[in-house]
Amino acid sequence: MTQSPPRSPRDGPIFELRGVSKSFPGVQALSDVSFFLNPGEVHALIGENGAGKSTLIKIMTGIYAPDQGEILLDGQPVQIRNSMEAQTLGIAAIYQEPMVFPDLNVAENIFISHADRGPVVRWGRMYKDAREILDRLDVKLDVRQPARGLTLAAQQAVEIAKAISLDVRVLIMDEPTASLSAHEVAQLFRIVNNLRNQGVAILFIGHRLEEVFQIADRVTVLRDGRWISSAPRADVTTEQVIREMVGRQIDDFFAKTETNRGELLASVRGLTRDGVFSDMNFDVYKGEVLGFAGLVGARRTDVGLALFGINPATSGEIVYEDKSVNIQSPEQAMRLGIAYVTEDRRQLGLVLPMSVVVNVTLPTLPRYLNRLGLVKRSQEAATARTYQEKLSIRTPSLNGEVGKLSGGNQQKVVLSKWLNMEPKLLILDEPTRGIDVRTKAEVHHIINDLAAQGLAIILISSDLPEVLAMSDRVIVMREGRQMGIFPRDEATQETIMTTAMGQVGTANGAGLNGQPATEGGSADSEVPL
Amino acid sequence: MSLSQPAAPATDSPGFLDKAWQRLKSWEGMLLAVLLIVVVFNAVNTPSYLTFGNWVNLFQLYIEKIIIALIMTFIIINGEIDLSVASIMALSAALMAFLHEKEVAFPLAVLIGLLAGLVCGLFNGFWIAFVGLPSLVVTLATLIAYRGLALVLVQDRSIGNFPVWFSNLGQKPLVGGLPFALILFIAGVALAIVILQYSGFGRSVYVIGNNKDVARYSGVNVRGVKMWLFIASGFIAGLAGILYAAHLGAMRGSTADGFELDIITMVLLGGVSIFGGTGSLWGVLLSILIILNLRNGMGLANISGEIQKGFVGVLLILSVLAPNIFGRVQESYNRRRRLSAAETAEA
Amino acid sequence: MSFLMRRFRPEQLRVLVLVGVLVAILIFFQTQVEGFVSPRTVNRLQTSIAIITVVAVAETLVILTRNIDLSVGSIVGFAAYFVGTQLSRNNDMSPLLIVLMAISVGGVLGAINGVLVSYGRVPSIIVTLGTLAIYRTVLVEFSNAQTVLTSRLPEWLQTLPSINLASVGSFDVRLIFAMALAVVIIFQLALTYLPYGRRLYAVGSNPDAARIAGFPSQRIVFFAFVLCGALSGLAGFMFLGQYGNVTVVAGQGMELQAIAAAVVGGVSILGGTGSAFGALLGAALIGLLEQGLRRMPQIDEFWRYALLGFLILIAVAVDTVVMNRLRAIWARNELQMAAGSDQATEQEKPAHVA
Repeated sequence: MTQSPPRSPRDGPIFELRGVSKSFPGVQALSDVSFFLNPGEVHALIGENGAGKSTLIKIMTGIYAPDQGEILLDGQPVQIRNSMEAQTLGIAAIYQEPMVFPDLNVAENIFISHADRGPVVRWGRMYKDAREILDRLDVKLDVRQPARGLTLAAQQAVEIAKAISLDVRVLIMDEPTASLSAHEVAQLFRIVNNLRNQGVAILFIGHRLEEVFQIADRVTVLRDGRWISSAPRADVTTEQVIREMVGRQIDDFFAKTETNRGELLASVRGLTRDGVFSDMNFDVYKGEVLGFAGLVGARRTDVGLALFGINPATSGEIVYEDKSVNIQSPEQAMRLGIAYVTEDRRQLGLVLPMSVVVNVTLPTLPRYLNRLGLVKRSQEAATARTYQEKLSIRTPSLNGEVGKLSGGNQQKVVLSKWLNMEPKLLILDEPTRGIDVRTKAEVHHIINDLAAQGLAIILISSDLPEVLAMSDRVIVMREGRQMGIFPRDEATQETIMTTAMGQVGTANGAGLNGQPATEGGSADSEVPL
Repeated sequence: MSLSQPAAPATDSPGFLDKAWQRLKSWEGMLLAVLLIVVVFNAVNTPSYLTFGNWVNLFQLYIEKIIIALIMTFIIINGEIDLSVASIMALSAALMAFLHEKEVAFPLAVLIGLLAGLVCGLFNGFWIAFVGLPSLVVTLATLIAYRGLALVLVQDRSIGNFPVWFSNLGQKPLVGGLPFALILFIAGVALAIVILQYSGFGRSVYVIGNNKDVARYSGVNVRGVKMWLFIASGFIAGLAGILYAAHLGAMRGSTADGFELDIITMVLLGGVSIFGGTGSLWGVLLSILIILNLRNGMGLANISGEIQKGFVGVLLILSVLAPNIFGRVQESYNRRRRLSAAETAEA
Repeated sequence: MSFLMRRFRPEQLRVLVLVGVLVAILIFFQTQVEGFVSPRTVNRLQTSIAIITVVAVAETLVILTRNIDLSVGSIVGFAAYFVGTQLSRNNDMSPLLIVLMAISVGGVLGAINGVLVSYGRVPSIIVTLGTLAIYRTVLVEFSNAQTVLTSRLPEWLQTLPSINLASVGSFDVRLIFAMALAVVIIFQLALTYLPYGRRLYAVGSNPDAARIAGFPSQRIVFFAFVLCGALSGLAGFMFLGQYGNVTVVAGQGMELQAIAAAVVGGVSILGGTGSAFGALLGAALIGLLEQGLRRMPQIDEFWRYALLGFLILIAVAVDTVVMNRLRAIWARNELQMAAGSDQATEQEKPAHVA
């Protein structure tokens, strides 16, 4: 394997985009975006959902062709027609969900894209080479093990190994940390640092600013498909970046009004789902917003899914309206008056090709049937109209496809669908993810109003300011455990984050090397902070 | 194809003519046009085509496939497939014939035959809805298994000698000159349309076919719906098998072999997506009429049954291939139009 | 234990279990049928599974890519009939030419399937359900429903089924079985050692990843269908050699036997796993069951067909339910092993050598 000698950043950019634009029917995904990557540099790309990050990646890897603008590699204009060409040029991408071949083993996953390893697969040599590359990354994996069954972190390591084996010069990492535990993130960063030292240019796309600031050398902000700024890390602050991402001050749209806590609705004691989360203890009161904070991978969603019966708890007790209940299915949860607004609106929340009306009445369909089991369409339409007005859903027609609405309006349809059930306990999982600012504020008002009407609300959100502003109490989770409950006046950004991140070295999840973090403490300390 | 004509950009401001054109461009519109062409062609070529007798005969010949096509529409829209229907037909008919041969009271034999179909469907449904195996594999396996069981029952014999009233059911007009088959066709189509297009159950079928995770997260009983569909499919296939035996007057091990091809073709040609979620019984009804009339026309023109079978195979592939090609042509046309628009904007 | 788990992954375990089942069936029939385990049974088994083994290997190539080919039976019949008529007309054609002709006819029919599936983007189940009927129709038309007669075939072809390549005691190695075995070995090697073979697995294992990795997935799937057709054509030649008389229904229903053999042999219907060797084992298991049942007078021969169906169902159910469970156990063990100190693995090292 020939490794290009490390270059100093002063050699000039290795990769550059100039005035790139891309549009899809009805959407201008990117307009006139320019930026460059230096060798041996970690360049962070940040922006809200819909800012154009994924389109940018797809252009860089040849999946999309830009409508306008040019791509330069080593100062020379290039055309990247497909991902194979991107690979030959030394550009590779790894994604949040690693794209491994589950039936092939680790070594083969690393080398499957190589066209230059001879006409015959030499397994012995491949195992040896694979081991060498993994050693270079300081990752311990059995190269003969099939990729099926590897942890997400290990799969990512395999993908990085694959990129390295291809002598990658530009590595794009699309939210690689989204599903990793804190310990795994530390190990990933060790690998990234390693690559940086070898002269690879890394484009790091991330959502968690604290991570971005930890790893990046330069930071570029995108908003609404436009380039906003690029600056060395040392020259920017979190507040500044957030302001640029959202285009406004952060603290001007939360509008929590004080509500009075009502009576007890549910008590959860020792709730556990084996291997996922354990020993959750909390009470839910009517008229109260109970926030769930934590990093991604803290298993907050799994608690919500257990309460809603999708993935039921394996032990523990839920006392609901003074009765002990064992929730095993969504149907059962719904009969108890529990509703769950999913974080994955497009895959789990809405039937995108079907109409607004159909989606709104989906969970409550039995109410709209006559004695023969036929759907009373006028009544359905009336309900949909009510919610259209109440939540001001902007749609040309209630009979149009939900998939054609904007993210914010889609989210309102999901809310309508569950509010129409008249729930007693509403579980909101990332209710404002990927929706525009105006709708976000509207959703916050809705949450407020619902709590004021006496609804019990569980608010799971990765948007910390949102949880803090909206909740009466905040539960902090970390890797499947409840770390503490904070009343509103004690819940500050600092206390929550410290609790959510835990102390360095006590993580108990299996990391890249599979070793408990207590033993891997030295690895953590290698990460420059 | 008018795609290359400059009239197309008018879609930017839809007028009345445009809407009519959109409607015609839809799959159903195209099917209707094809049906008209086939009918006119047949009528011109064979004078006996437009007689009442010919049409009655037509429905009588195909009623078994038609009623299965109706339930198959539900199953494919739901995102599954049932390849075992023809074998269930054979097994139900074989069991009935076998019991009849063993001198079990005939109505009881018929009842048990019907029940056998239901049990076959239940067995399919169990593996698909509860164990979670792909329906393609399960019903491919039971296609072989049920046919095998039918063979075990009748071996290489042909069992006939059914009571006269039973054979009449399949062969003679029943009420006011209308044969049982035609009555069943009209009732079946009406019932299927009401259930699929207007009932809550039909709504669930579409929702699950589009996205079964959303359905589950919305409290829809996904397993239950799938289970009911396969039970219904088994029962209807059993009914069709017994009707077919009445119609033929005898039953063999190979009865109804390969019928699933015709049935699935009827459904897919009707515009139902093989991936589930879209399509309607209106389209399937049109496609049934097209296939009936095509085969009838070919039969009247003395084209062999074997060629007709091959022709159905071609239709099956075309019914999925045509929209794909059409979609891709339109896509590349749109892309070119966007590009040229961008160029003119630049200039 | 953990050493064993490291050595044998669930996939290998499955092959072992299959061999175990084969032995168990042998023992069972030996107790039921007098003198079942005998050279005669083995020799018969060879002839009875040779053709189906080749078709099962063909089917394996396609199933690996997460597709299915239901038209193989029609291709076998078509190729058999086609070369049969050519040979009847001209007895002097060279055997090699005939074999090549059968393979090309099959390859062309497979290419039609491949174009429609890969480039026409029509699901393979639809395409091959259609071509199953279409190829048969073309055959019937082409033949005017006449039969190829053994008596009009050249001498060498008539004796083909009884040629022994070698004999060990009373155990023979039939030429026709040796051909099948050669196909299995060639494709087993190709699937293991050729980059193209590995890509068949990759495409079936994760089509999205294959697309993102920039594989020419369409071409890979297309050639899988071409190869499947070509092998079915070869099977058509073997069919002609074995039966001599070829009617227009030749090879009918063979697709189901081939799929059964492949699936029973561990080829996952969801793509990505399986091998040519597994297909052979599957064919052997089915052949053995059929042989045994045929020789048990108390069992009706019509049961064979029904059993075939249930066997597929059981194999698939075992694969999806049991294998998933096994893989989960393995994955957990893998984590635990990785978590254990390196010293433990070191201590186990001598066991590796032993």
